[in-house]
This record gives sequence, structure tokens and C-alpha cells, in this order.
Amino acid sequence: MALLEYALMGGVLYGIFFSLVAIGLNLVFGVMRMINLAHGQFVMLGGFGACVLYQDLGLNPILGIPLAIAGAVVVGYPLYYAVVPRLQRSRDPEMLSFILFFGLAQVIEAVAVFVFGADQRSLPPETLGAGSVGLLWQQFPDSWWLAASVSVVSILGLYFYLTRTKLGFATRAVMTNREEALVTGIDVDRISVIALIMGLALAGMAGVFVPFLLGSVDPSIGTGLTTSSFAIIIIGSLGRPLGTVAGGLVFGLGSMLMQTYFSSWSNLVPYGLLVIIVLVRPTGLFGRPLRQA
Amino acid sequence: MSAEPLLQLCSVSKSFNGLAAVNDVSFAMRRGEVVGLVGPNGSGKTTTINLISGITAVDSGRILLEGQSIERRRPFRRVQLGINRTFQVPKPFRDMTVAENIEVALEFSERDGADAECILTDLGLAAQRNKLARSLTVCQQKMLDLGRALATSPQLLLIDEIGAGLNPSELRDIADLLIRLSRRGTALVVVEHLLNFVNRITDHVIVLNAGVTLFEGTLQAASADSDVIAAFLGG
Amino acid sequence: MRKALRPADAITLGMLAAVFFLTPHLYSNQSLLFTMMTFITLAQGFNLLYGFTGYLPFGYVGFFGAGAYGTSLLVLNAHLPAIAAVIGGGAAAVVAALILSPLLRLSGAYFAIANLAASQILYLIVANPALSSVTGGPYGLNIQKTFAPQSSYDAMLLVMLFTCAIAIFFCNSRFGLALRAMTQDYVSAQMAGINIVKLRLVVWLISAAVAGLAGGIYAWNISVFYPEAVFGLQISVFAIVFALFGGVGTVIGPILGAIALYTLYSVIGISLPQYFELIYGSLIVLLALFLPEGVLSLMTWRRIDVR
Repeated sequence: MALLEYALMGGVLYGIFFSLVAIGLNLVFGVMRMINLAHGQFVMLGGFGACVLYQDLGLNPILGIPLAIAGAVVVGYPLYYAVVPRLQRSRDPEMLSFILFFGLAQVIEAVAVFVFGADQRSLPPETLGAGSVGLLWQQFPDSWWLAASVSVVSILGLYFYLTRTKLGFATRAVMTNREEALVTGIDVDRISVIALIMGLALAGMAGVFVPFLLGSVDPSIGTGLTTSSFAIIIIGSLGRPLGTVAGGLVFGLGSMLMQTYFSSWSNLVPYGLLVIIVLVRPTGLFGRPLRQA
Repeated sequence: MSAEPLLQLCSVSKSFNGLAAVNDVSFAMRRGEVVGLVGPNGSGKTTTINLISGITAVDSGRILLEGQSIERRRPFRRVQLGINRTFQVPKPFRDMTVAENIEVALEFSERDGADAECILTDLGLAAQRNKLARSLTVCQQKMLDLGRALATSPQLLLIDEIGAGLNPSELRDIADLLIRLSRRGTALVVVEHLLNFVNRITDHVIVLNAGVTLFEGTLQAASADSDVIAAFLGG
Repeated sequence: MRKALRPADAITLGMLAAVFFLTPHLYSNQSLLFTMMTFITLAQGFNLLYGFTGYLPFGYVGFFGAGAYGTSLLVLNAHLPAIAAVIGGGAAAVVAALILSPLLRLSGAYFAIANLAASQILYLIVANPALSSVTGGPYGLNIQKTFAPQSSYDAMLLVMLFTCAIAIFFCNSRFGLALRAMTQDYVSAQMAGINIVKLRLVVWLISAAVAGLAGGIYAWNISVFYPEAVFGLQISVFAIVFALFGGVGTVIGPILGAIALYTLYSVIGISLPQYFELIYGSLIVLLALFLPEGVLSLMTWRRIDVR
């Protein structure tokens, strides 16, 4: 019975963390209608950033968060202007972006192997808190609680951005209908760049906690993280940040329960969830009909 | 000519997100008849066309072609049974030539009687036959869309706001073409805002408003009906 | 344009056959030539689906693996001779495609990602240690008793030519006309009387069958393999990049793309795999940005009809 409780509680924490992993992809797809297939690789870079900070520079890995934000600005801005205007002018921007970002994913993965080596890297859990916190008679490491807290704060922050700020309103307008937003005088490019940077930053931030929640980080984890993120955002309905949390919870609980009871099949969970959700209910749990792509 | 109607709509309804676009609409048409379908924006005219052509599925009600239920049939099947339509925003096969666009419909409709040359000439596209569809003007694309529909030798042709953007002489030519079609036995449902155009080709209109049939009869009577006037002018 | 076999197409097939028939006499690395033929077949098979219907099967390798495993399991359990087993492998891939056919309701990127997920599921099921007694699990399979390098080479040559012939058929026939119409506007295609559901299903099954046959012959040729060797994402990636590089929607695009890039890979990639990942990643990015229609589109600018 304790096993079930552990799986449930752990699943919630794990799921909240994975919402943070996925939310950046949701934002980018919602605003730019482009599939950032390199999303998982950016998460991976965040993980390596944390490792480098600790192992090579002796700093606390939590500083990976500001590093991720800075990195997102440095990378996001040129990436957007180099790639997006051209893609938008093409015949099929959605598929072409799919292919392009896939290539980018391969490039990032290859460069990561060059720079960091192909081996797994881990971080001692104590770096983010030496103890563990209990809830409902189950103990979970501090790092898990910290990850979940950062996730909640970030997602709430994004929610407030979208609903309470002027830029946020404009962003939601673009998410609903890009062409109409353009003709109402909204600077769609500026909104999109900001969304891309935010998306990359969120990915990087999530990456900081990957060594703690997944045990280790290595260059090859990117693809799996992207697919999982997809499953989560589709379950939670595209374009809805709070929906991503729901998707994350479904994913987290599903993974943990599978891990506990049928562990050899647990790696199937992200893929199985994805296939089931797109076939059964592609508009997700909160089924707002998609803008026709 | 049998007295049985060619097309019957029986209490057809369709809702989107809880809003009834078409609400319990019924009407019937005979072979060769021309019916104008008019109404303010959002009254359900295009949805009705979509339901008859099969692009959208009915929520309830029946659609009968020559007495047979077709509301569950897929669009391509309905084309093969002789129903076709034009689109408000033309959707030609952009990377194919004008001639190829017609050829596709000729090949796959499995219906005889259409001649590509006649169609191209009637629609003024004979000189453009080898041009890619995407390089045509919007008007020409509309004509090509109509040509595609005609190539399937329809016995029922649904025309969706073809008049928009045409100049008066083009409107006259299209009106004459539609009249010729109806004389040859093709039934027409013409969705249109331009009431002069409708008046040229038919006497019989159905007025829709908010998904409901408001009036059926002559255009003249419609324009004197107080409900119709209210629907168009509001209030 | 409605002729079944234009002279140019016949020459293409003939040259392709000649190259792979004769080269083994000049160049002893038959295994490399075999793998190249495998990739030409896969790139062409991918092209049949993506180039003519617009569906991007990101998990195309799933059918390859299904064919490899189908063939091997038939050899090991039903003791079928190799050729029958290979056909069985192709059938296995078709069955997998039938089961996955609901995915065709999805559009664009959703289809691509779901397809990737589906092939991963297939891989993870087959490679699962819990199923070791049935599928060999992570330890792979061994069908050495049917080892026949020359026969399997010839078989792959035939399948490769067959796949290219199908592409020629798609380009020139009435069937191909319907495919082009469906890809350019699927609503108008329906209103032209085209049964798009049946059409895309047929192409989907053909594309899967091709990959399945290739997988079966590949398993026959290498005889001993781990699941990663036939389900690896890299195989999908190669097929996709080769086809995109050459130009999809054509017959010779995937052939040229596969030959050019696989040669490049065998020169630098085998020894330095991480460099190759960097190169083909950059290649994909550059292609998407500057040459989305592939290298052959450069020829189209000069008005050479490459279809």
C-alpha cells in the first residue's frame, strides 16, 4: 500500500516537473505554430549547464536557472530572425519547421557530444537540499520539491503574463489567430521572439532539475523528452498553460504507476500516451477546437 | 419527368459548439429546378451547401437524393451520384494546369456527359488551358472551380456565392450559363447575396435566417414579407 | 504524361540495375553496396508516402523493423525458407500499417509525431526483456542458418527496382494524378470524385510493405542483429534526409540523395559518427532554409522536367 502512495505522490511531483519540461514547447507551438523538435535538446543543455556549474565551476546548480534565461535570450533572438521569417514565407511552414528544427536537434546533440562527451553525468542530490520532505508518510528528496515548486511558480508566472499583461494579451491574440493579430497592428514578430525566448528559457530551467529527477543527463535524452512534452501538451490541450499541468500530472502519475508495477514497460508510457491521446481526443482534455493548421 | 423530387431535405440540423447553424430545415427540389438560397450573413446558407455536398455531416435529419438517403455518404460518393458544388473561396489544384484540373474531375467522377473543351470555352478559360491554376486571377479560379464541378456532370449543382467580385458583364455571362444548365436538366441551388443575379436566374427563393427557414416563394413576395425585411435590416 | 513508362524512366531503372549488378565485380565491399541499396529502397519507400501524399512518417523505421522481425521469427519458428519468410516480413509490416491506419486521420505534424511514437512503441515491445523468449528481447535474433549473402543481395536489388518502378507508376499514371490532386487540395479532390480515404490507405500500405520487405531482406543478409539495428531512429532519419536532399515527389531524387549522402557517410561517417550527425543535422537545416524541394529543384529552375 505504501508503494501505491509513493507512486501517487511521486507521480504528482514528477508530473508537475514534467509540466515545466513541456510548457516551453506549448508556448512556441501555440504562438508560432512551429514544432520545435529541438525542444528536448534545449532541456538537455539546461541539464548540462547545471552539471558544468557544479562540477567544473563549483557553483550551486540552482544558478542554472538564471543561466538558462540568459542563454535563451542569447540563442533565441538570432535563432528566430535567422529562421522564422523564411519559414513563414514557405509553402508549408508547419512541416518545414518540423524538418528544420529536427536538423537543429541533431546539430545540438552532436555539439553536446563534442563539448560534454557522450557519457551520463549526475549531480549529488544534496546540492539542492540535503534532506527530504515528507507528505502523507512518504519522503521525497528536497530537489524534487524544489523542482515542483519552481515549476508551479513558473507556470503561474506564465499564466499571469498571458492574462494580466498587455504583451500577454497580444500573445494570446496571436495564438488564436496570427493573421488577424497582424492586421490589428500587433507586432507579431516581437511577440513571437519573446515567446520563443520564454519557451527556451523554460526548457533550460527544467533542464537544471533533470539530473535530479531523472537521475542523470546525457546528450541522447533530448528526443525522448520532446516526445514526452508533446504527449503532455496534447493531453492538456494546446495553447493552455494550465492544461499543461493537467497533462503533466497524467504523464507523471502514469509513469510512476507503470514504474512501480510493471517497470519493464515503463519506457512505453510517453509514447503510448501520445498515440492514445491523438487518436482518441486530439483536442486534449480541455478540448478547445484547434485553429485549423 | 417524374414527379418525385430530386433532392429533399427533411428536418436537417447542424450545430457547432452549441450554436445551431442549421436548425430543422426542410425543402425539396425537382429536376432542373433553380432555387435561390438567400439570407443575411451567418444564416446557415453555406452550411446547408456543406451538408448537402457532404463536407459537413448532419447532426439530425435526412437528405434524400432521388428518394435515397445520402446523409451518411461520403463526399466523393455524392459526387459520383451527381451532386457537386463550388466554393466561396476557390480551391483549385494549384500546381496543376487548368486542363489538368478539369481532367481530374472528368476522370474520377465516373459520370459521362461532360466535355472538357466545351467547359473551358463556356467559362472563358480555353486560352489559359496550360497555365498553372495558381497563376490565375481570382475570377478565373472561380470559373475553374465551376469547371471542375461541371466536369462531373452533376444533376444537382450547388453554387456558393459565385457573384462576388464579378463585373456586370461577367455576371450576365454566368447567369446565362446557369440558365442553360438548368434548361438541360441540372438542378441548381444558388447561394447568393446579389439579389439581381438571383432574380435573373430564378423565381423561387428560400430565405434563411439564423439557421431557420424564414420564407419560401418568389423573390418579389419575399421582398414584401415583413419577417424577411426585419431579418435583413435587423430589429 | 499518361504513358506508363517514359524512356527516361526506363533508362533510370536500367542504369540503377546495371550499377548494382556490375559494381560488385569491381568493388569488393558487397556489404556496403547492399546497405546502400537498402537505403535507396527506404528513401524511395519514404518518398512514396511523403512525396505523393504529404504524410511524413517520422517513424518509418518501424515498418523496417517489423519486416526484419517478422521474417526472422518466421524462419526461427515456422522454419520457412528465406524468400517465403521475407514475404512474410513484408506482410507483417502491412499488418502493422493496417493497425496503425487510424493515424491517417491526423494531419501534418501530429501524424509525424504519432508515427514516431508508434514505431518507438513497436521497438520497445520487441526489445522488452519480458518478451525475450518470443522476440529475443534486447539480445536480438540469430537466423544464421539462412545466411546467403549473394541471394539476399539479389533480392534487395529486385525490391529496390520494384520500389522505384512504383514511384514511376505514381508519377505517370491516373493513380498518380489522383494522388497529386489529393495532396494539393483534399477537399476539391473529394469533390472531383476521389476516394481520398482509400487512396491514402493504399499508398500507406504500399510504403509499409516496401519497408517491410527491405527489413526482411536486411535481416536475411546480416543474420544476427540487435533490436536497435533494425528499429533505430537513425534509419528513419537517413531515409528522410536522403529523400529530402534529392527531392521528393520525383523518381530519381531519393536515388541520387541516397547514393550521394550514403557515400559521404561511408567515407567519413563510419569512423567519426558524431561528425556525421553534425553534418547531416546542418544539412537538414540548410535544406529546410534554402532548398526545401531538394537538390533536384535546382534543375527545375532551369526548366528540366524532373518528374
